[in-house]
Amino acid sequence: MKGKSIFKNIVFWIITTVILIVVLGPLIWIYLTAFKSADDIMTGQFIKQIIFTPTLDNFTRLFTAFPFLRSFLNTLFISVGSTVIVMIIALPAAYSFARWNTGGGHLLFTTISTRMFPGVVAALPFFILYQRVGLLDTYIGLMLLFMYFNVSFATFLLYGFFRDVPVELEQAALVDGYGRFDIFRKIVLPLVRPGITTTAVFCLIWSWNEFLFSFLFTRKVAVPVTVLISSFWGSIEVQYGPMAAGAAIGVLPTLIAAWFMQRYIIRGLTFGAVKG
Amino acid sequence: MGAKNYEVTLNEYSLGRKPSVWEVLSSEKYFKWVLIVPLILVLLIFMIYPLIWCLYYSFREGGLQGTVFVGLKNWETMLHDKSFWIPFLRTIKVTAICIVIELLLGMGIAMLWNRDFKGQNLIRGLVLLPLLVAPLILSLVWNFLLEYNIGFINQLLNAIGIGRVKWWDSSYALYTISAITIWQWFPFATSVLLAGLKSLPRDVFEASRVDGSSGWFTFRKLTLPMLSPLIAIIVLLRTMWLIRLFDPLYGTTRGAVNTELLDWMVYRTAFVYFDVGYASTLALMCLYVTMILGAIIFRQLIKALNESK
Repeated sequence: MKGKSIFKNIVFWIITTVILIVVLGPLIWIYLTAFKSADDIMTGQFIKQIIFTPTLDNFTRLFTAFPFLRSFLNTLFISVGSTVIVMIIALPAAYSFARWNTGGGHLLFTTISTRMFPGVVAALPFFILYQRVGLLDTYIGLMLLFMYFNVSFATFLLYGFFRDVPVELEQAALVDGYGRFDIFRKIVLPLVRPGITTTAVFCLIWSWNEFLFSFLFTRKVAVPVTVLISSFWGSIEVQYGPMAAGAAIGVLPTLIAAWFMQRYIIRGLTFGAVKG
Repeated sequence: MGAKNYEVTLNEYSLGRKPSVWEVLSSEKYFKWVLIVPLILVLLIFMIYPLIWCLYYSFREGGLQGTVFVGLKNWETMLHDKSFWIPFLRTIKVTAICIVIELLLGMGIAMLWNRDFKGQNLIRGLVLLPLLVAPLILSLVWNFLLEYNIGFINQLLNAIGIGRVKWWDSSYALYTISAITIWQWFPFATSVLLAGLKSLPRDVFEASRVDGSSGWFTFRKLTLPMLSPLIAIIVLLRTMWLIRLFDPLYGTTRGAVNTELLDWMVYRTAFVYFDVGYASTLALMCLYVTMILGAIIFRQLIKALNESK
């Protein structure tokens, strides 16, 4: 019996290790490649793929030969901007849905259904509209689009958090003579702070990762990180080094977010349906 | 002045003082609508504009220079268009493959990890890491890893004697793309199912074990039915994301070698050929497909949300 359980343990850890290697391998690979010299990247010698002399060449090239810093700041600015707009619109709406079931459920359903709206349907009409009004390749143009993608998701996720706030608290405040707006601002909002953070981080990440619209709607000025990195994979030559270095920096914020948000990732990804 | 509720406002009204605009807006009757108006406005503008635009142009033909009315011609073309139906069926195929394998992997690993072991929180946290990373960047990295000559995977396979594999050959490329997607998303299924397993009542399983039921029997008759709401959620959400698969295509084959999917096809018609009329028709078709799916998906989600409270 004892021998059997030791054997089971060994099998368990072998499988677990394999899973971890498979999941984390490609992520580690990004960071390994980012510190390799161009020769080490292109080498056919297997062992040199893992053991090599680290260098910062790729990062230096990334910041000098390509407008990476600008792209990074673009992504940051657009993500934060769109998230702020999303929260201003979604917070009150989610509260209204949670507290009064405004629209009797149908409105909430309609709201979240818009999340299914295919991006490609909106792409051409907005492209032509943006071209006409001069929003193409601008920060505000992308911010508005990302706001539209995220606002229904944010409303739905926040709705789940607002529902957890006990009605009795608000009733007590009403009796104390608080107005509706003050109850929302001074009592309810502080209580759902974890929900606000979670939702905001998710909106930031979705905007940070967005590609289709960033790619179609930017040319030079507002190019975000994802689009810049994808341009390293040209049809004639591939800039592996800068690509890896750019990816290393570009994915870092999302990795950090994934680590600190562990508890809320599943809740966020399932629109609040699974609490994790 | 915030300290007024509906009754107070009403009393003042009957006393003859007209309530201020602010008092009316924050009154019990109107406040909930005031809160929701910005959202409705945004959604209306951003939804209805592209819809009407596409509907209008789906009956027209031509490029950016100008279009002419052609009636239902675009819709007829689409019905017989192989370059629409092949990506359409391919999208269904990729969606099915990914969901089935993600569920199997997810369930297997969740069962494996459904016990207390050293470092369990650390390991569960680590497998969540790829979930939030940009799919585009990951697909570029995978494209590099799977490169024929210098890609690490092929070098590894070569070193252990299996030899290099042509991952981007037209007969495998679609499966390679599916594999990349599965790699990124199976931790999602794992975590959801693990959360489900952890919340199952222990005594039922204890009883089943005492009764001498086999492991497989317990799994089929107890575990699976109890987890079915979660499995439904995974299937629904993944369907929603998978039919919109675009980034991994851009990062790898760019629609070549038999990998063109639904969204890529619309993108190509709209932004490579600038065939405005036909692209609008295809886009609307995508919308109809997703609307039907979306109706099912979100009804279920709201139901799940209400049950979990």
